[in-house]
Parts: sequence; structure tokens; C-alpha cells
Amino acid sequence: MTTSETKHETPPRALNARRAVSWVLGLPPAYYVLAILIAVAPLVSATLINPNYWFVILKQSAPLGIAVLAQSLVMRVRSIDLSVSGVFAFAIYFASSGFLKNYPPYVTVLMPIVVGLAVGLVNGVLVAYVRASAVISTLSVSAILIGVVQYMSAGRAPGSTPSWLRVLTNGNIHGLSYSVIVWLGVTVLVSLAFRYLIVGRYFRAVGDNPRAAETTGIPLARTIFVSHTLAGFLTGIAALVQVSALAVGTIKPGFDTFMNALAATILGGVTFGVDRGGVAGPFVAVVAFSFLFAMLTVFGIQEPGKLIVQGGIIALAAIIYGARTGRV
Amino acid sequence: MSMLVEMVGINKSFGATRVLSDVRFSLERGSVHALMGENGAGKSTLMRILAGVYQPTTGSVRLRGEDVSFKSPKEARLAGVSTVFQEFTLIPNLTVAENMFLGHEPRRKDGSIDSAEVVRRSRELLADVFPQLDATAIVDTLTVAQQQAVEIAKGLTSNADIFIFDEPTAALNSTDVAHLFKVIRDLKAQGKAVVYISHRMNEVFELCDVITVMKDGGWVKTAKAEDFNLHSLVATMVGRELQNFFPPRSQETGEPMLEVSGLKLHDGGASVAFSVRKGEIIGLAGLEGQGQREIMRSVVGVETARAVTVRRRAGGSAMSAVNVTSGFPNAIAAGIGFIPEDRKQEGLFLRLPIYDNIALGKQLNRNMASVAWRSVSKVREIIKSLRVAAADPGAPVGKLSGGNQQKVLLGRWLLSGVDILVIEEPTRGVDVGAKAEIYRLLRDFSDRGGAVIVSSREHAELIGLCDNILVVHDRKIVGQMPAADATEESILGTALGSSSAEDPRAVVH
Repeated sequence: MTTSETKHETPPRALNARRAVSWVLGLPPAYYVLAILIAVAPLVSATLINPNYWFVILKQSAPLGIAVLAQSLVMRVRSIDLSVSGVFAFAIYFASSGFLKNYPPYVTVLMPIVVGLAVGLVNGVLVAYVRASAVISTLSVSAILIGVVQYMSAGRAPGSTPSWLRVLTNGNIHGLSYSVIVWLGVTVLVSLAFRYLIVGRYFRAVGDNPRAAETTGIPLARTIFVSHTLAGFLTGIAALVQVSALAVGTIKPGFDTFMNALAATILGGVTFGVDRGGVAGPFVAVVAFSFLFAMLTVFGIQEPGKLIVQGGIIALAAIIYGARTGRV
Repeated sequence: MSMLVEMVGINKSFGATRVLSDVRFSLERGSVHALMGENGAGKSTLMRILAGVYQPTTGSVRLRGEDVSFKSPKEARLAGVSTVFQEFTLIPNLTVAENMFLGHEPRRKDGSIDSAEVVRRSRELLADVFPQLDATAIVDTLTVAQQQAVEIAKGLTSNADIFIFDEPTAALNSTDVAHLFKVIRDLKAQGKAVVYISHRMNEVFELCDVITVMKDGGWVKTAKAEDFNLHSLVATMVGRELQNFFPPRSQETGEPMLEVSGLKLHDGGASVAFSVRKGEIIGLAGLEGQGQREIMRSVVGVETARAVTVRRRAGGSAMSAVNVTSGFPNAIAAGIGFIPEDRKQEGLFLRLPIYDNIALGKQLNRNMASVAWRSVSKVREIIKSLRVAAADPGAPVGKLSGGNQQKVLLGRWLLSGVDILVIEEPTRGVDVGAKAEIYRLLRDFSDRGGAVIVSSREHAELIGLCDNILVVHDRKIVGQMPAADATEESILGTALGSSSAEDPRAVVH
């Protein structure tokens, strides 16, 4: 007898109420976090429940949101992309250093996307075809990019970002920033692709069981390559949005970018190979994250405190998932 | 002989579903007791009650004459019940000794684990039963059979006198099976009691003294093994006469569908060549590990051979070459499907729905940017025609029984429209009733103009199912015979007769 058969023997959950409860319990942790935060918000500060403030939060979340979408792509196929910080650093430096001043504006717009795409291609080749460790190769690509930026800037902060580019973040339709619209648009596109295109089926299959995928005739290496390339492309868009949100360039683009991206992805229900959270999960997670930080700011908690809270959340998400898989 | 275990009036319900009703089971010292029944008959549930995993809803369990009620597997183990599951519960990166004493390690006075004592006592215990097993070897480096030995040895550490084996031979080759049988007989000789669950009839008759048959959660019959024969046992298990366990062979086969030639598995090896006709099922037989698996996989390109030429019929009478050296997708494009032996690891996406697993058949060899049409009605049709026992195509495929999982894989290739099927161990882990169905489905496939290549460790299965049998030995084909004339002896004879005496495997146990 097989173990699968004993599962067969367990009773079908007939009651709809029980099914609903188990569905709620199965939701990614991000939904709980957001729900709790929203419940607590009115007690903390009236500002937090002002709709305009929410638009600000969404606007601030846009770069991270798109980066998280990229991260969720590679995590679906059991890989990881830690080169987000490098792409951000590189894009911000080049956009603000004045190198591209003499070129037409579209070069400045395309630059982050091209950089992201190139990094994605390199990551894809290394992880899928060379079969290098995803953690190590994407982290080293990131380190190289940051190194290049620091070498070229010689430690000095670059100039300001082109002011016309800021319209992407500051311009809005009925208060909703263009950057948020880009974020939503990309999210919808990715979820449609997952739902209706072959690529979505391949990603799910590879995420569930890479070995079976290969024996079934799914091009395993190509699928992983595509996920890294797409992730790179999206990271590029995220970098562009990030550039547009900065007034002054910096050579310290926040080492925690990839930590945030990783945390939000996991909170959103995407762990290696599991995509219970779908595309909406990471989206909610990013909003929850930004909201939490906003709340911490209201409490007067500074960067170090935020970092501690952030680490705590990642650990919590890991524990919740550990407990769930343990029970299966 | 004294009764070691007596289970009386056992009922077990999960919620509203009753899975065991009024089951009785008793176990004598110094006996091997087979527990038989189709998947879902309740054998595992009954044994899990004995092993403390579940508690019975009503009914009593008596161990050595005393009523017991185990609250956990640990309690049962301490009381002397050891379970060897088909899927092992070993920690791969620990040593054999560490695994044996996991959770009840000998301690020093200060409470730390006495590693030297762990190794010493493991060696002592292993010396009796598995002298060739190194107590300090890392479990991950062991073969499946050796890992199973460790699993059994774990039971020895707690001085168990009841051993439950749940399909222990599913992943073993014949040499290892022989050793396992020896160990079980030794346990029996020491006055211990063994419960043996297996789908392989010949093993049960070879090894067991008493047979209990269960069906649909109820007890059906307990009798001495010699009071059963194969036919009556199968009939008792399925509750009806299996008129045609194997479907009739094809009356006539057509022109060749697939030709394999110049297949070399290693440099300087003999080249393998064979062909399959339309409507034909051919079987690759032979001793374990003689190259059957590599030949099957090379033909479809899942593994790469040194050299191979595969040609298939392409409309009319022309044969066209299939470039399998650059991977399996080429074979799929040429209408050749492949079902691996290890369904859970290599074939199925266990957490994905049944629907997705089948629908993949239509989604292979496609541009990733193209639209994946949801062919819901076609998939439903296939689920229905294969009689996959699943109410909901949205349920994860991992919840199905072995037989139904195999049907899902068949369904995938039926949907994709291949007409040549290469299938390894088609009924591994599949219960008797479902076996007959799988055979019928494969025969239907070939009767509709398909061709099938199958390999199996169970030669009786190949003899019953196939039209022709190819005997593989030492990575070459050493004989071919019509299945209707073949016997297990003639297959083994052909395999061994060909070998140049030095092959140690040639010694049949």
C-alpha cells in the first residue's frame, strides 16, 4: 500500500464552512498582516486612514512592488535573484551622473531596462545553463555592478536625476501616481500571462517538480532562463521607477532593497516552487510592508528599528511556512 | 503458539467517513502474516492503529494479552511495534548508527549523547542481521536496499517483537529481495511476528504463513497460506472472479512502427537493435539492472546513449529518423511518449491538480508565449474514459492512489496524441484490480494502432501482457521470444545462458 492511498482515506471536507475556514487559513501571511495593520491604524493616527495618504504609500511602494514581482517570477521556478540592489545602484548612478545628458531622453528611460535585461540574461545563462548556484551567481553579479558604480563615482554622490523623469512618480491621474499605474499594469500583465500562456504552465510544473518537468519533456533550462530574463526586465522597470522617485542620485541605493523584495515575496505566499499567493499575494505584501513602515515612522521608530522589525517579519513568514509544510 | 497481538472489533472513522468496520486481526509469535487487499481496503489504516499513528474509534487492541491504547507511534515503538514504511523515515545526512538511535540515544552522565556508545551498540546489533552494513556510513550514500536495512535495524534497537513491513520490496531488485526475505525469516525464527503487506502475489506465497484479506474497510478472510492459491486469493481480494486479468493479445500486428538500431550504451559495447510493429506490445525482460532502463530511456532521449538511430513510420510506408540525441522533446514531436517508473519523482506534479497534469500533454513542445487553451472537456473525457477515480479534476494528483496516478500519466499522453508509448514498470505500486485496468488500457492503446514498449521486474506481467519479449542481459539483447511461449524460467534461462559465467548476479537465489 502506498501513502497516497491513506490520504485517500481521510474524509472529504464536506462542510462549506470548514472549507472556507481552511481557505482563509491557507492565505499568505501578508493578508493577515495587512488586515491587522488596517484594524490598528485608526488607533495610531488619523493620517494613516486618510485615502490621500494611501496614495502616497502606494507611490512609495511602486519600485519595490515591481521588484517583488520580478523576484516572485524566479522563486516560482525555485530560483532566486539577489541582483536587484546592483541593478538599482547602477541605474540610479548612470541616470544621475550626467553621462546621458547629451543623448535624447529615451536613452535615459531605456537605460535601466536595458541594464536589468542584460543582468537577467547573464543570471539566466549562469543559473539555467551553467547550472551555477542562483544565490551565489546573482549576488556576485550584484556585487560587480555596485563595485563598478563605486569605482566610477570614487565615493562621491552623483548629481541629480533629470527633473523631467520625475513626472513618472509625481504625475498622477486622480491622485494615483503614474508609477503606481505602471506597477498595476505590469502586475495585471504578468497574472494574465500566468493564467493563459504556456509559460505559466511551464513555471508551475517546474516549480512543483523540476525533475518531473524534465522527464515530461518541458525544457527545464530554457524555462529557468526565461524566468530570470523576465525578472531582469521587470527589475529594470522597477529601477526606472526608483530613479524617477529620487530627486538626488545616490551611490548607496539601500542594501536592503533585495531583503525587502525577498521578505515581501515570501510574505505574499510565494516560496520556492510554491505560488499559493498567485500574483496578488506579493502585491498585498508590498502594500502591507510599506504601510507597516509608515506606521513605524509615526511611532518615531528609526531605520535600525525598522530593520529589526523587518528581520522579525521574514523570520515569522519562514516559521509560518515551516509549520505548514511540517503538518502536511 | 501464543497470540502476540489481538485486534478485535476495530472501527475507525475519519469524520463522517468510516474506513474500518469491525475488523479483526491477530498475530502469532514466530509467524509471517500477510495482509492483503486492494488499495483502499484499509490495510494501512489498520496497521497505523497497531503502530500508534491512529487510535481506533471503537474496538480493542491486545498486546501480549494486555489491553493497550497507544497515544503515539513512540509509545507503540517502546512497546515493541516497529514499522518499516515503503517511504523511509531516515535522515539522509546522518550515519547509520545515528539514525538507528535517533530519539533514544544513549546518554552520558552529563546528558550529552554518547556517540561512541551509539556506534558500538549499532555494530553489535548490525552484526547479527546486516553484517555488511557499516554503522558509520552516511545514509545518503547507501542503496535503497541498504537504507531499508537501516530502517529494519531501527526496530532492533528498541527490541521490537512485532515488525510491520508495508510494501518493502517495491523499490528492491531481486538480490535485495532475497536478502530481505532471509532477514524476515531470521526474525521469524527468533520468535518475532511479522506483518507483511505487498501487492506481489509470488512473494506472499513464498514468505507468509497466514493470509488475512481485507476489502472496503472490512475483514474478509484469514487462512493459512497453503489454503489459498493465486486464483482464489485474487478472487477474495477483489471480491469477484477476475476473468481476464490480462487482455487478449493482438491477433495480427501491422508493419513496423518504430525501429531502433545501433544503440550503444557505452563505448565499445554491443549495439542493440529492435523494432515494434503497429498494434504490438513488446516487453524488455531480464535480471535487474542489465540495461533495460537505459535502453528505454535512450530510445526516447531522456538519457543520451553513445550512439543510437531511431526511425519511426511517418505516413505511408516511409520511415523517418527521429533525432533523440538532442532530447526528449524531439521524440514527443515525433509522437513518442514516455512514462517513467518513479511516477512521483519523475512523472507527476503531485501538488498540481489532476487537470493540469493531464492537460500538459497538449502543452509540450509549444512556444512559451503562445496561449494554453483550456481543453477542459477533452481532459474530462479522458478522465472519464480511463475511469480515474476522482470526483474533482481540481484535486491535487498526489491524493490519488498509485493506479489512478498511472492513469493520469496515460491520460497525458493520450491527450497529446502520441501513438508510440515507452513505459517503465507500468504497475509498480498499483493494486490488483487497477493492474488489470492498466493492462487493458495499454492493450486498447495498441489495438487502436499504437505501439508499446514496456519494461518490468515482474516477468509474469510481461508474459501476460506482451506480444513479444526481448531478453536483455549485460546491456544487449540476448534473446527474443513470443510472450505466449515464454515462461519465467525460459526468460531467466535465456538471460543467464548468455552470460559469461563470471557475472555474480547469475546465481539465482
